[in-house]
Amino acid sequence: MYPNRFEYFAPTSLQEALSLLSIYQDEAKLLAGGQSLLSLMKLRLANPKYLIDLGHIADLNYIRQNGDKIAIGAMTTYAQIKDSELLRKDCPLLVKTASVVGDVQVRNRGTIGGSLSHADPAADMPAAVLASGAELKAVHLNGERWIKAEEFFVTTFTTALAPNEILTEIRAPTLAGHKTIYLKAAPRPTDFAIVGIAACLRLGPNNRCEGIAMGVTGASDKAYRPQALEKALQGEKLDFYTIREAAARVTEGIEVNENIHASSGFRSHLAQVYTARAIQTAMNS
Amino acid sequence: MHRIKLKINGKGFEHEVDSRLLLIHYLREKARLTGTHVGCDTGNCGACTIIFNGKAVKSCMILAVQANGAELTTIEGIAQNGFHPIQESFMDKFAVQCGYCTPGMIMSAHALLLENPDPNETEIREAIEGNLCMCTGYQQIVEAISHAAKKIGRSEKK
Amino acid sequence: MLKLDEILVTRNWVGKPVRRKEDIRLVKGEAAYVDDLNMDCYQAAILRSPYAHARISRIDLTKAGALKGVVAVLTGQEVARETKPISARAITRPATQYVMAADKVRYVGEPVAAVVAEDRYIAEDALDLIEVEYEPLKPVVTIEDALKPDAPLVFEEAGSNVLMHDKMQHGDIEQAYREADLTLKEKFKVHRYSSTPLEPWAIIANYERASDSFVVWSNDQQHGRSLTNVCNTLGIPIHKLRLIVPDIGGGFGIKLALWPYIVILSLLAKKVSKPVKWIQTRREHLLAGSHAPDANVEIELALKKDGRILGLRITDIQNDGSFVHTAGIYGLIKFATMVGCYGIKATRAELLSIVTNKAPTVQNRGVGKPTMIFALERMVDIAAKRLGLDPSEIRLRNFVKPDQMPHTTPSGEIYESGDYPECLRKALRLVGYEESKKKRDDGRKTGKYIGIGISSGVEPGTSNLGYYYTARGLPEYTGNAEGAIVGIDYDGNVNVILGSVDSGQGHATTTAQVVADMLGISPERVSTANTMDSLISPFLGHSGVYSNKFNDVDLGAVIMATKKVRDKMLKIASHMLGASVAELKLKDGKVCLAKNEEKSVSFREIASLAYKRILLLPEGVEPGLKEIAYYKNPIAKLPNREDFNIQLTHSNSVHVVVVEVDVETGTVNFLRYVIVHDCGNQINPGIVEGMVIGSTVHGIGASLLEEFVYNEEGQLLSTTFMDYLKPTAIGVPKFELGHMESACPYTLLGTKAVGEGGSLPSLAAIANAVEDALSPFGVKVTSLPITPEKVLRAVRETKEI
Repeated sequence: MYPNRFEYFAPTSLQEALSLLSIYQDEAKLLAGGQSLLSLMKLRLANPKYLIDLGHIADLNYIRQNGDKIAIGAMTTYAQIKDSELLRKDCPLLVKTASVVGDVQVRNRGTIGGSLSHADPAADMPAAVLASGAELKAVHLNGERWIKAEEFFVTTFTTALAPNEILTEIRAPTLAGHKTIYLKAAPRPTDFAIVGIAACLRLGPNNRCEGIAMGVTGASDKAYRPQALEKALQGEKLDFYTIREAAARVTEGIEVNENIHASSGFRSHLAQVYTARAIQTAMNS
Repeated sequence: MHRIKLKINGKGFEHEVDSRLLLIHYLREKARLTGTHVGCDTGNCGACTIIFNGKAVKSCMILAVQANGAELTTIEGIAQNGFHPIQESFMDKFAVQCGYCTPGMIMSAHALLLENPDPNETEIREAIEGNLCMCTGYQQIVEAISHAAKKIGRSEKK
Repeated sequence: MLKLDEILVTRNWVGKPVRRKEDIRLVKGEAAYVDDLNMDCYQAAILRSPYAHARISRIDLTKAGALKGVVAVLTGQEVARETKPISARAITRPATQYVMAADKVRYVGEPVAAVVAEDRYIAEDALDLIEVEYEPLKPVVTIEDALKPDAPLVFEEAGSNVLMHDKMQHGDIEQAYREADLTLKEKFKVHRYSSTPLEPWAIIANYERASDSFVVWSNDQQHGRSLTNVCNTLGIPIHKLRLIVPDIGGGFGIKLALWPYIVILSLLAKKVSKPVKWIQTRREHLLAGSHAPDANVEIELALKKDGRILGLRITDIQNDGSFVHTAGIYGLIKFATMVGCYGIKATRAELLSIVTNKAPTVQNRGVGKPTMIFALERMVDIAAKRLGLDPSEIRLRNFVKPDQMPHTTPSGEIYESGDYPECLRKALRLVGYEESKKKRDDGRKTGKYIGIGISSGVEPGTSNLGYYYTARGLPEYTGNAEGAIVGIDYDGNVNVILGSVDSGQGHATTTAQVVADMLGISPERVSTANTMDSLISPFLGHSGVYSNKFNDVDLGAVIMATKKVRDKMLKIASHMLGASVAELKLKDGKVCLAKNEEKSVSFREIASLAYKRILLLPEGVEPGLKEIAYYKNPIAKLPNREDFNIQLTHSNSVHVVVVEVDVETGTVNFLRYVIVHDCGNQINPGIVEGMVIGSTVHGIGASLLEEFVYNEEGQLLSTTFMDYLKPTAIGVPKFELGHMESACPYTLLGTKAVGEGGSLPSLAAIANAVEDALSPFGVKVTSLPITPEKVLRAVRETKEI
């Protein structure tokens, strides 16, 4: 289809991008990989007056060790995450998740920063950054701040970013020794998640759960950490029945989505099944 | 309007384009390379797949201005003379019916074989899961890609 | 009828998997689809109704027309003034609809205005500036809504939302019921879906002022009929419209009725001084580009205890949406082969076509037969269960036997050949039926829910047009036929122009194979035009690519034209060689003496006489070496309510599917997919295989993924390929194929239909497999699609999908 008119900027530095953003604020949209935004613009569901392309800013695309964390530039593509040896070793959850986003072409263009900032409630990456305990770096003209993943997603297509801020980096703790998995229910593998469950476990002797962080996407207006569920399993010995019982709490306190692909009841059910399967698969990984 | 300079199939192109012009429309209408097709609005069909700086992408999900400075390969560019082994294999294995998805499918296959010269069936199917074919049910396409990989492998050994 | 030996002089090409000639340009990206044609065009965009049912109280295009770059606008009122209403093919009540809505819209997506601009981007901008005021009316969405006594009327003048209601009875149905030990009845529901060709509809129209005529390029599947329809609607003589059909990016029936848009584009072209192009977007295609209708089918079997089916009764109600042109035509196609592969002797059918505020319907791949076979083959499984018979056994007991061929069904359909029992047995051998059953039974003990589904199906081809008029009188079209021109060029090569078009079937290749074997040359020397041009091509009202008629009448025309050319060449050669025609034979592009092959003349030398040295031609032989022929199917009967054949060839197939159902998530996974099919003699097995698999994947999409979902307001909720879910390369099974070749006695090459193939039995095969898998839960499948949510609900609560 055919997008509306807009003015296009291709800043070559972050500073320049921030200046443009501070001028145009709400009327501007940042263009990262464009795999979601351009689709909305083509359907004329998004009609920004100004489009600021971050694709020409050299230093937003990297994956590097930073102390006990791994820093990922916002413009890093899913394909780069999928193929990163560093992440495969120290933060495999992000690799596993990036590998099942969309299809090859989407993964070659789509970026982690773009996905997180877009905050599609059924996107895969938000679940993974939640479960991996990542922090997100928001930069504005006069400084920067770090936002915890669980505080980042506000509601559908809305994040904690201020109109003049740009997400520039995702910093994830190294999770060597953790058991992780991302599983999604989707009509076809290339689709957005009906529900997607990211799990990150630290197991002690006898499968005792010494640490648990989960990310749930697709179920609600935003990706979230199912706290009741995590609490129920923290410190417990993870056996089939304990997991199944706790999984029932994955949507506790959550208003569950409904659309043509799944009613809220079915979605809740799938969230429970996939939660239990994710935890079990992670344990066996 | 923005001036863009890019390379397509090894040839230099330079045009003034509207900021909203999609790369697929640039390729088809400005560069007159009509082998790349449009099959949907939302980046779900893959008929517009090309190689952009070495990676398979959907040219309907990129603005022409974003391609400034890029190097692209389209279906017209994968074999200057004669046929690429993937094209040969598509013909050998009856992987083409209406042909509308074929260029995008071949570009996805091409990108796969550049990275993975010996893919198994699952890897082939995963590589083309972003390309819809309404005619074939995919089986002969998968066979063709597998056949092409063997063909290329054999010719490289020689 | 000509015998095979009289047609083919060699057997080098027919029946072999010859590489497709079309692919040379298709794999290189050098095809010429409408949008690829290198023409300087304006571009059109169409404003569509956001309401399912509403009156248009005001429309104002002032702002749109004033936008820089806009060159013309068109409204529905103007269309109503300038054109005649859309013609109806089958319905029996009055219903007036124009190609663009003038005062009332009847579905979301109905055209209400159009603009032409310098480019499509500007045209879309202009649509945003059109002001329309609507007075919404209560929409009629479902069949149940439409049939309520106080339902709003979609077409007031029809006085009802039932536009066709027909009842037919064949054989002694009363006796069947009297003799039956039991009757079984069930209601089935099939949803709306579509085969969605990857290339959407595309039209370029140019108005030539000096001659007051139009040239139109379009990916029209049925140009023969479109020419009449467009010219009648525009009120112009046929010679004022030249219709050109270049490469088509898939059709599947969905491009059979795009002609109303040719009318719109012609009106737009008349307003400007350049060609006007309109390329349908995917959203437009899904919203208003035609669907297969949703349907409710009630089916009843009258049975003996041993499983023999004596009688079959159906009530078929189809939701045809709002498009008077095609409304009603599905019912009779379903009716034609309602007995499937079975030797059922008595039938009763009640057929209703319902108009609603849903999108238009058109003859999507299989045209109702997928629905009919779904209902029948599900019912046969239900009967088997009730009688304690294996699903394969009840089928074997009822199939028409090979020694009964040709078999005439109660209504007059002639099943010409086939071995239905062996087709099933072969499929069972391929799948390893006993082993598969064991695997299924073992799985159940460990919580794995595996099911086996069998479905058989007759796949008819070559429609005997006019059948849908049986409800209303004299048909405008009868029988089926096609034309072809075959010529030998100056250089002795062969040139073919078909009356029909190709939308992916490889017609140029199969034509070349046949012509090559008729003339004793290589297919390399035969070229077939890939464009239909009404100025040149030998078309008929029947012309087009639909109902699998190519193998029958299209090739029939090619064969008859080639034979004419061959006869003429032999006559000239006989003169040149001083021998009688009976002494001659064709070999390697030459005509030679059968007894002394050294003595010969080449096609080139013969052509030289025909085209250049014409004074050397024998007495009474006209110059030139190009012949036209039209060929009609020989067994088509005139429409007659007592005895008529609606389809003229009948292929058959059996699908055996093994699935595993995850009863926690409701997902269905394929473990095996076996197809044994019989389409008579195959001309190109490589092409046939692709058709069989591709059409089956259409059935898989329809069974498990695809659905046009409407809400209560009549809004379509699946308008992109994000929501309308097509099968991808992951998730479709690897197909195992078996072939049988029961030659058809009524086609020149013994061929039958193959294009719809798998789209017919696949729905029932999958449904039967899912029901079998879920039998421990007592689940019955009576509707499609089988979505994970429906599976789960059935397992846990409703026991019915």
